[in-house]
Amino acid sequence: MIQFDLLRMGDSSKISIADDLRVDLELDKIIAVASNGDKLISETWSNMLLLRNSSEDVMRYRQEAVRDALANRDVINKMYSIARDTIERVKRDVFILLLRTDDPPAVARETSRGIRILLDGLEEMLTLLKSSPSFSSTAFREFVSSFTANINDQFISSARGVASIFDTSRENITFSVKIGSSNYLKDPVLLVPREGGSFLSRILSLGKEYTYKLDPRDEAGPRIVYDIKKWVLHRSATVLLRSFNDMMKFFEDLMRQLSFYVGVINMSDFFARIGLPQTYPEVNPGVFAFKDLHCLSLATSMSSKPIPSTLSINASDSFAILITGANRGGKTTFLKAIGQALLLARAGIFVPAESFTIPTPGAVYTHFLRGEDRALSYGKFEEEVKRFRGFANFLRRGDFVLMDESFSSTNPIEASVVAENVVSALVDSGVNVAYVTFLQDFIYNFTRRYGERAVLLVPERLKSGERTFRLVRGSLQPGYAMDLWVKLSNNPSKEQH
Amino acid sequence: MLKIVDFLRCLLGELMEYRSILGERGSMVGNDVAKDLRILELVDDILGRNRDEFLRELYLEPLSREEAAVFRLMVFQDLMINDVYRMVEGFVERIRESERLIQLKEEAYDQHKVGLHLDAALTYIDAVESFYNGLRAIGPRSEGLKQFLNYLEQVINSPYFRSMKERAREAKEARDRIIIKVRFVEDGVKVSKYNGDGEDLTALVERTFSIFKDGNGEEVKWIKSTGDMTHIHAAILEGAFRFYREEYEILRRFMEDFPTVIDEGVRSFAREVEFYLTYLRYMRRIMERGYTFSIPSFTRDGSMHVKGFYNLLLVKAGKAVVSNDIDTDGARRIFVITGMNSGGKTTFAISLGQLAYLSTLGLPVPAVEARLPFFTSIMTAFPTEEDPRESLSRLEHDVVRALNIIKRANDTTLVIANELFSTTTSDEGFQLSKLFLSELNNKRSYCLFITFIPKVASLKFTISLVAMPSPEDPEKPSYRIIPGPPPKEYMAVRIAAKHQLLYDDLRRVVK
Repeated sequence: MIQFDLLRMGDSSKISIADDLRVDLELDKIIAVASNGDKLISETWSNMLLLRNSSEDVMRYRQEAVRDALANRDVINKMYSIARDTIERVKRDVFILLLRTDDPPAVARETSRGIRILLDGLEEMLTLLKSSPSFSSTAFREFVSSFTANINDQFISSARGVASIFDTSRENITFSVKIGSSNYLKDPVLLVPREGGSFLSRILSLGKEYTYKLDPRDEAGPRIVYDIKKWVLHRSATVLLRSFNDMMKFFEDLMRQLSFYVGVINMSDFFARIGLPQTYPEVNPGVFAFKDLHCLSLATSMSSKPIPSTLSINASDSFAILITGANRGGKTTFLKAIGQALLLARAGIFVPAESFTIPTPGAVYTHFLRGEDRALSYGKFEEEVKRFRGFANFLRRGDFVLMDESFSSTNPIEASVVAENVVSALVDSGVNVAYVTFLQDFIYNFTRRYGERAVLLVPERLKSGERTFRLVRGSLQPGYAMDLWVKLSNNPSKEQH
Repeated sequence: MLKIVDFLRCLLGELMEYRSILGERGSMVGNDVAKDLRILELVDDILGRNRDEFLRELYLEPLSREEAAVFRLMVFQDLMINDVYRMVEGFVERIRESERLIQLKEEAYDQHKVGLHLDAALTYIDAVESFYNGLRAIGPRSEGLKQFLNYLEQVINSPYFRSMKERAREAKEARDRIIIKVRFVEDGVKVSKYNGDGEDLTALVERTFSIFKDGNGEEVKWIKSTGDMTHIHAAILEGAFRFYREEYEILRRFMEDFPTVIDEGVRSFAREVEFYLTYLRYMRRIMERGYTFSIPSFTRDGSMHVKGFYNLLLVKAGKAVVSNDIDTDGARRIFVITGMNSGGKTTFAISLGQLAYLSTLGLPVPAVEARLPFFTSIMTAFPTEEDPRESLSRLEHDVVRALNIIKRANDTTLVIANELFSTTTSDEGFQLSKLFLSELNNKRSYCLFITFIPKVASLKFTISLVAMPSPEDPEKPSYRIIPGPPPKEYMAVRIAAKHQLLYDDLRRVVK
């Protein structure tokens, strides 16, 4: 069997809140650019971005293969089209519907026809790989060596021969058989048909063969004969069907795995077109830092470079980034940019930044405000709490939770208590948090308690009052309101005014 | 062991007669009892999916003699040993298979007939021999199975059986020698002798595609719409026999020389022993839910001790089932059952009635332990709907029924009466009950008498049983029925008190 694993998807289970992530982080926009209308690429990318598991090793394995694919883009595209065309031809020419597994003669006929098409595809692939420059990545090198170890000209020609017996001899089958209990026929052995034979040998066989001719009016006869054929052919049909399915599966697997890399090629082209920087993320425990990180989904809708962000924090412990401040300051965009880059990084894909370093390739969870209705309601609050609880069981040390105005469906006083409970618990458990929030009690208490591990970001405002849509480190101004109070109360004129 | 007559018959080359594994037959249960004790439902459950009318009748025929019941219970005792059960069950299945093959022969083509006949014989021979050897090794203790074992011994040693066995073996060997090559062509089938010169195409396919062979892939099935014994199959066999003439002759002569395969006595046994097997399967279904069956023993001193008996229909329905006991040394035989509504009184009575009924069929009963008299008759009097067309009122009807019961009752009668005489004043009801029960007591009959009239329980010759409330919630029943005086406080009064509707409450409210 041809062994290859270009993706290292592991058990490939999706993250529990895949659908939320998809919406909250606008992944469809990114996937649309990568897939360029190809449904399979779109599926593969969505699977890859939403994988529950990743690791530094897997990231590096994929990054190496991504670089390799970009370097050999023509070969990758050609392999993809061979696989795709072969599968399409099979689907066009083989009556897949006839592959009902209760009709062995039809299965044998159709699968053998399918196998002949698949063999053509294998032959084409073999020719391409023989004449192509060698790959440098482990992923593609392993594929090529396993493929050529299993598929060679000799296999292709003998397989064609066998398939043609079933494809051409139709149903004039020959078999040996014994007589068992109740004089039922038993132990049928399908035999390789003998070619017609000479006139003389046919004369000689006269009398050595008993012939029963079906009466043309015998309606049941042909059905019975067909049933016997089903019985005799079912083992061969099983082997043919399995072989056919396996060969199909080979092409389908290959196509699916290659589709990821074809998407990578498309994405790389998009980056080049609008001038996005392209960097391969690093893993460095203790550091969470990026330079000029762009929000990719925003880039795809603007078709130009959005305003980038830069951040560097000490991540030797888990941390919480709290983002607050005036609306329309780019807070949510910032959150999305981080989330998207984290997902790309885990998948082994380059990210739109000058540099991007993460402490761990942990999983990403989102808890974003839902709906436009801002009215406070305990029903909504309960929904929020349940939604959070829904994924909390899955969280692990090193994961990232991105929160956008969580718990704002109740009043800020009590929401703060909840938020503080939640975020403290996460951070203490080794989970990293980025939280867009207006909950002042929470921000105040949390930053005081967590010091360095709490990073407060606010929209930058120039002295002129102009907004830059960048976030910068901010600091709390405790007692500001009190001061103001005192100040105002100390000004009796104003008070008396 | 063999009786002299049988021995003589043997000498004459004649088999001794098969004696029924059922012992003797009983007589049909009465309609009222079957309805009141829900016997028909019970028998339906016992039969399960089996709709054999012969069996149904057997389960509806209580025996009139204790010895006949004991004969059957002894067979049960043997069959409750797992190995014995499996052996008998397997034997019956194979006899049935042999019968099926013979039946198939009726409509089969000649080419198949010879084969069906041979396999019917092979199946039968093997069934008889392995059953005989297996059962003899275990050594049954019941008269019923011992008798049949002796009978089988004779069958096996008969010259007919012995030569049939030898010739069947030869015929099978002949058939196994046949191997042919079949070729389907446009308009028919060609058959020839196969000389082993072909190449196995399936193996070739497997070899060629071995790199793609995925161990547990899809399996291509073949679903036939036609049979295995059609004229096409017959034609192929005909071709085969053309080239294997000698083998065919051996098969044909076997059928001719041994026209009868299954011995009549064996056939009867296979049919009758289903009475036991079916009930044992039913028992297993009940026991899987954690309940017990026991072999009843019949007392001669009038005493009755049944421990942990329960209602089979409730078990079947998956309801919560409470088990109960009933005891008497035989001096007092009239049980008066009182207590809260829906407290399980009727269930208690029906359960015991069913248990007694099953014991008279010679069947194991649903209880931990059951020692009871062999009841030669079970009679019931349950409330009936008032029928406007009938001239009798319900009270009159009750009296008529009571008198009929008294007329037929004796010291091995079990009477189950439910709310008899309840359509009159309690004083009159008490008087009628007293008369009825005194008569039964005089006849030394057994009776379960369910009543709302507590005074009945004070009759000296009765045993008072009472349906107890649940210890956790006195408003709910425990379904336990235990000896003791009728409750002093009525449930309806308790409920009225809870809602402050008793005298004092109303006095305080109504000013």
